Amino acid sequence: MKEIITLTKLFINESLGVSLFFYNQKYNKKEFYKQLFTLIIVPVALIPAFFMYVSLMSATYFGLTLINQTSVFLSIGYILATVLIIVFGVMYILSEFYFSDNIEELIPLPISQRKLIISKFLSILVFEYIFAAFIFIPILIIYGIGQGMGLLYGLLSFLVFLTIPVLPLSLMTAVIMLIMQSASLKGRKDMLQIVFVFIGIAVIFTVQFWFTSQLGSGDEADFQLLMNTILTNNEGLLNSIGYLMPTSFLMAWTLNKITLISLGWVASLLGITLLSCVLMVAIGNRVYLKSIVSGKIIKKGKQLSGAQRSKVLGKKSHGAMAIFTMDLRLLLRTPVYFFNNVSVVIIAPLCILLSVSFIEIPPEDLQGMQEFFRAMPILMNFLLIAFFIFFGGTSATTASTFSREGKASWLTRMIPVTARDQIVGRTGVAMFIQSLGIVFTIIAVQFIFPLPLSTLVITSILGILGSLPILLFGLFLDMNRPLLNWDNPQKAVKNNLNVVITLFVGMAYTGLLIGVSGLLGYFVNPILGYVIFVLISAIFCVVFYQLINRRLEAEFLNFES
Amino acid sequence: MLILEHISKTYGNKNEKAVDDISFEVYPGEIFGFVGPNGAGKTTTIKMIVSLLAPNSGKITINGIDNQADILGAKKQFSYVPDNPELFEKIKGIEYLKFMADVYQVPAAERQERIERYLDIFEIKNAVNDPIGSFSHGMKQKLALVGALIHDPQLFILDEPMVGLDPKASFELKKIMREHCDRGRSVFFSTHVLDVAEKICDRIAIIKKGKLIEVGTMAEIREKAGSQESLENIFLELTE
Repeated sequence: MKEIITLTKLFINESLGVSLFFYNQKYNKKEFYKQLFTLIIVPVALIPAFFMYVSLMSATYFGLTLINQTSVFLSIGYILATVLIIVFGVMYILSEFYFSDNIEELIPLPISQRKLIISKFLSILVFEYIFAAFIFIPILIIYGIGQGMGLLYGLLSFLVFLTIPVLPLSLMTAVIMLIMQSASLKGRKDMLQIVFVFIGIAVIFTVQFWFTSQLGSGDEADFQLLMNTILTNNEGLLNSIGYLMPTSFLMAWTLNKITLISLGWVASLLGITLLSCVLMVAIGNRVYLKSIVSGKIIKKGKQLSGAQRSKVLGKKSHGAMAIFTMDLRLLLRTPVYFFNNVSVVIIAPLCILLSVSFIEIPPEDLQGMQEFFRAMPILMNFLLIAFFIFFGGTSATTASTFSREGKASWLTRMIPVTARDQIVGRTGVAMFIQSLGIVFTIIAVQFIFPLPLSTLVITSILGILGSLPILLFGLFLDMNRPLLNWDNPQKAVKNNLNVVITLFVGMAYTGLLIGVSGLLGYFVNPILGYVIFVLISAIFCVVFYQLINRRLEAEFLNFES
Repeated sequence: MLILEHISKTYGNKNEKAVDDISFEVYPGEIFGFVGPNGAGKTTTIKMIVSLLAPNSGKITINGIDNQADILGAKKQFSYVPDNPELFEKIKGIEYLKFMADVYQVPAAERQERIERYLDIFEIKNAVNDPIGSFSHGMKQKLALVGALIHDPQLFILDEPMVGLDPKASFELKKIMREHCDRGRSVFFSTHVLDVAEKICDRIAIIKKGKLIEVGTMAEIREKAGSQESLENIFLELTE
């Protein structure tokens, strides 16, 4: 047990960088204050989102009381928490169990496989409990207060809460371990991770669009009617998912009506949870380390002949092109980077297509929309421009461009590439990905209503131009405070405050830019709107370009200070 | 070829200097060895030379170019292989070599000829189309060496180059270092392997706790130490 606790502490320490934090407090004040700032600013930034969530849940509870269906409230929360834990948990499980560097150091040590598995699982659980607390505790409290529940409800709620992340995560871990040990998947771990993530996203969107499709026409959009439709329909979402997650019934039986039998239900829930853990450890004990060893086998390339090597090497590229190609390859070949920076350009247009397929828009409504937009092209154009800027701003590709290189960044800083080429190469990658998003969106939009060529040209050019200041701002941030000290590529993006800042600043900037130029274009003159848009974008581009161009080489010297 | 003048470096808010007022010169055509115990300041000094760190004070000139005034100009003069070359794991060996050839703007014919030659010497021709993530430590080091030699640098800087290399590759590297210097270029490298330093270096500098305690040829160092012992013994005496 002592060994498990020590290992768990070690994994948590490694994930959070606790030791580094205290080292910096003593010896590197500058870095310490940066970390402290992140530690404060992230929870503070999440407060509004949390309050919005609590308000939404309170409104849902209130809505359910009106139709006398409060009993499903806890089920909604339970299913929501479970689905989110699974979706986010997949990445954590893969990272902790399969992509973390520490396993190579631990394998040779005399630590049993079982202890390694339990410790790694516990270290994930700590974070998932925090996540689950934010999602599920407000629901328990809202329901408890609403129903006037007492102390026993509190105790049972606590026991139910304990099981929340354990059950889905243990089962998910077991499934992942089984898949990863499959000999046929040797050397394909990167592809697997991308597939896992896309399956997760597909599940979310399918549920989301199915839910939306239940709305039917606009007349039925009334909240109470919607809930009635979903809750009274035997084929409804809750029942369907409920049958997939039978423990949600146990949870509901435990907490909806507090009687002595509730103790029995909660005991069953705890028992099932414990069993799932035992099952996960038993499976892991058979396959985990075996899959780690086989997972280390990376698929080799074909041997090249002298002529083939000459062909590859003979093509001389410009410095900017070399940076562009390298950055793009890293993005496309590292699953975490691909998911965070590239997948949005595939997912967003797909959402448009899916929404069209699931939600039947009556032909007369579609015609009305088309006429509306034909009458006011400026509105359509700025809407599309905003959507295109979204690809550039939200992917935050440039905001983690140096961070993504991690310990290999010495190479970038050592080579004689001008700041201009670095800027062009790295923003070029972001613009290339954005352009893909634009093309996919245009194709998807064509299914709803064909757009004139002039609209496509104007919106594409302005969309790219409008996002360029955000891209350069991201690059500027990452140049000043890159996150290079990571043992797992996920940290380069997920733990990177540069990405979060760029996202928020980008959204605010886009809102203002589109707002100002759109209003001018609509109320004064469309040309004026476009001119103002171009001017504002160009000014910010020049400012950030100059800042980066002047400082980049000097900042490279500060990366390790 | 390389001149360090009064270079000092302090990390974070530590009071102790990692490198404390060191000065020395590497002449054209010589192999210069940089030796010292762990934590003496060897890697920090090298990082300042290759523009990965800024010195707190002092001046570094590479082939006549001040590496702080003209960072890019200085970078074109050297190539560097660190002690543990972390490379982009998802990139194939050949892609890495092309990248290096592109950023140093090596003409097509020269890059092909040099890469073929060094791939042969280090025996990684068959692995060059594999992702770097599949390479062993030694293979990564060999790839980094090939990448560093593509543009035939004026100054070849290596941090602990023999660690991780197999005996044949070590032998070949020493040969390459000598040939490089015979063409009027220079090699600057740090090492713990004092035997190697003694045998192949034209001059040696010994660093201890950030301070340079000796610079010169083996004969000069022996003379100053007043003994005819091996570098290893002199090193132990000087650094204790």
